[in-house]
Amino acid sequence: MADRKRLQSVAGQAGHPALCVLPEIEKEDELLETIWILREEGNLTWGQIIHRCKVDGCEDILKELSKNGWIGITGDIVELSEKGEPRARELVRRHRLSLRLFYDLFALDGAEAEACKFEHILSPEVTESVCTLLGHPPNAPDGKPIPRGACCALFKREMKPLVVPLADLVPGENGKIVFITPESHSRLDRLSAMGVVPGTIVRLHQKRPSYVIQINETTIAVDKDITREIFVKKI
Amino acid sequence: MHSHNDNHRDSYRDSNLDKVLLIGNPNVGKSALFGLLTGKYVTVSNYPGTTVEVTYGNAVLNKVRMLVIDTPGVNSLVPMSEDEKVTRDMLLSDRAGVVIQVADTKNLRRGLVITLQLAEMEVPFILDLNMDDEAKSRGIVIDQERLSQLIGIEVVKTVAIRRSGIDKLLKGMQRPRQSSLRVRYDEAIEAGMRDISALLPDAAIARRSLALMILAGDESLKTWLHAQVQDHVIAEIERIRQGVQAKFNNSLGFLINSQRLKKADEILAQVMSRHEGGNQTTIATYLSHWSMHPVYGLPILCAVLYIVYQFVGVLGAGYAVDFLEKTVFGQYLNPWSMKIVDLILPVPFLHELLVGEYGVITMALTYAIAIVLPIVGFFFIAFGVLEDSGYLPRLAVMVNKVFKIMGLNGKAVLPMVLGLGCATMATLTTRILETKKERILVTFLLALGVPCSAQLGVVLGMISGLSGIATVIWLVTVVFVMLLVGYAASKVIPGEPSDFVLELPPIRVPQFMNIIIKTLARVEWYLKEAVPLFILGTLILFVGHKIGAVDYIQRLASPLVVGFLGLPSKSAEAFVIGFLRRDYGAAGLFVMAKQGLLDPRQIVVSLVVITLFIPCIANVFMMVKERGMKTALYMVAFIFPFAFVIGGALNWFLRFFKIAL
Repeated sequence: MADRKRLQSVAGQAGHPALCVLPEIEKEDELLETIWILREEGNLTWGQIIHRCKVDGCEDILKELSKNGWIGITGDIVELSEKGEPRARELVRRHRLSLRLFYDLFALDGAEAEACKFEHILSPEVTESVCTLLGHPPNAPDGKPIPRGACCALFKREMKPLVVPLADLVPGENGKIVFITPESHSRLDRLSAMGVVPGTIVRLHQKRPSYVIQINETTIAVDKDITREIFVKKI
Repeated sequence: MHSHNDNHRDSYRDSNLDKVLLIGNPNVGKSALFGLLTGKYVTVSNYPGTTVEVTYGNAVLNKVRMLVIDTPGVNSLVPMSEDEKVTRDMLLSDRAGVVIQVADTKNLRRGLVITLQLAEMEVPFILDLNMDDEAKSRGIVIDQERLSQLIGIEVVKTVAIRRSGIDKLLKGMQRPRQSSLRVRYDEAIEAGMRDISALLPDAAIARRSLALMILAGDESLKTWLHAQVQDHVIAEIERIRQGVQAKFNNSLGFLINSQRLKKADEILAQVMSRHEGGNQTTIATYLSHWSMHPVYGLPILCAVLYIVYQFVGVLGAGYAVDFLEKTVFGQYLNPWSMKIVDLILPVPFLHELLVGEYGVITMALTYAIAIVLPIVGFFFIAFGVLEDSGYLPRLAVMVNKVFKIMGLNGKAVLPMVLGLGCATMATLTTRILETKKERILVTFLLALGVPCSAQLGVVLGMISGLSGIATVIWLVTVVFVMLLVGYAASKVIPGEPSDFVLELPPIRVPQFMNIIIKTLARVEWYLKEAVPLFILGTLILFVGHKIGAVDYIQRLASPLVVGFLGLPSKSAEAFVIGFLRRDYGAAGLFVMAKQGLLDPRQIVVSLVVITLFIPCIANVFMMVKERGMKTALYMVAFIFPFAFVIGGALNWFLRFFKIAL
């Protein structure tokens, strides 16, 4: 692990990341992440990168990245190179997994600062473990997609995930809802009106012939694929 | 039924009476309360979504004559289904005098979500915590004083089915207030609400709440908006909504509800206490568990079906029908009417019309009242027991997988089972299904394969004389055809299947009076809606017979019937008549079988054709009304030849394989 200065932690609000004071390599990481996010938004230009840049000395770092072959710059247009793509992808993956970990599992608001520090110290194995622990979540708390990793493809379950789809519980077990990833809005809305939201404790009553779940004093029969989209922490 | 509804709507608008609106989640006892207040029920049920229409009743409450209105249950006032829309629209269209929110005490969390929405609407209301007994038996106690303080409105406790707490309710009704309770949403949502509110017209409910509904994605408000504001304003509102949604990746509806639930939990934490010994597993809990069990559920299902068959088939179709047909009509009414007609109007034509072979009295009324009515009546009683005990949704759980083959889900079990009683009423009930595709599919399957109780009575009577194999063949053919056609139709009809999300109320002991009143209401509907159509059918038959059309069609159909189906040519008459009245056709065959004119193979073939055949004329009218002329015609055009094809195929199959019956 490289030498690093004591990281300033300025508690940030959701969506407003704290100002991280970072050694050089981590500044590069931040910039690559910014590039990835801007690309998701369809807004990837030199001007936008500078505008969004949260570290100092942006222009120099960008030129350095280009020189080392991580990105390609043509006029106003910036692109991730073949070499840069997997690196940026892994960074975004760690960032968003960290957010999930802090917000949902640890239920901490204003955790952006911690998540920001955390992502830089995750090694590939730890990243995979965190991903597996969380049950390979497809989205970050703000809804942005988490790039898939090798562990997701293999649906690794060696390390017992702490957060599992409700469908994976054994009948009779209880789980506290950590997050829900619905296919369509209306499905989510209808469930939420019946009390199925993160934080609620739900019990899986049976799986056959149909799935039946229980929330407090309400018993509901549902399709299996709905229970696959409700992720719970076993309690 | 259409004009029935319109009359009600008019009476609602024109009425100078003070109005009382009952609102709440499904399954909380609104309809029971309605019955208590007005002294009558219409369709009281705890199967969610059954009250598909708004129910009106007059009552004198606190010495004032009032119009009490029962609404379909809602899980949220941002509508996700037809009946939720109906309820929301009631609040929107007119300022109701008093709104009573009825909540299930043990499920107060969900009730509070509605309470918060009513508060946002700035509608004066009171809160009724019903089913307090069930809450207490689970150890749940709500501090109603504190709750009243927190929400700022009257809170009363009742147990509607025991009439307890009603006096407090009546007192509380005199003091409805607006609740000062508000939920603070995310800043972006609040801003969106302010912007949209500014563009909205005045309405019976607060603009803030309308803005929230729009943000939550309520499409159904658009119709109301179109009538009130110009298109460019609507476009602007939509733009604002999209802008707010873009800031979040979860749906706004979900976020808003989550926020409401959080507030509800805060309130609940201050008023709810759970006592020890609350989680007793009672008989009801075991019954609930086993009735949906993958192993035990099936024998329970068979047992229930057997009991229903004994009750409706033997008691109803057997004794009751015998008594009415042979004694009441056979010995008294029919001979008397014949004498009276001959005495007063000794015209041969009138004699034939009224008391002849196809006479209005001797055929139509006799069949409608002596044969069909008792069967249908007994069936409605049995159905009422299934509903009120809470078994019906568990039946849906058991059959969900089978229904999925046909592109439906377990919720369709309600209209399908009702179809065994009366397919016409069942077609009306398809309104509770969420998607158009499901409604079309179920209407189609009802017309195709579900025999109504009148027909079923005769069919089972005929089958009882046959071997077990014959019965099985009939059953298997009908079920197989339905599954196959359902599967094919679900591929052809455009649209998505809907989610299977079905609330299961607790298993309860049904209230006798409740069932009787429900049954009477349904029988009344049947007499008003179906019987006139039977008489119409008989008249058509009479005319047809008179002008020789019946004989003509019979001769025309003869080669088909004899050659293809392998039946005697006289049975063509039964099929022709069967078009006008399903059970007439079956009865005609029954007579032939009794006379020994049909061998077992012919009986099975004819039964299969009759079962699959076009529904009775009342049902066709209902199909046109609910699904439209074009769709109904397509269905009829398919079913008619299809039934014959299957009959012919079965006939060939039985002959070819020389199956002994």
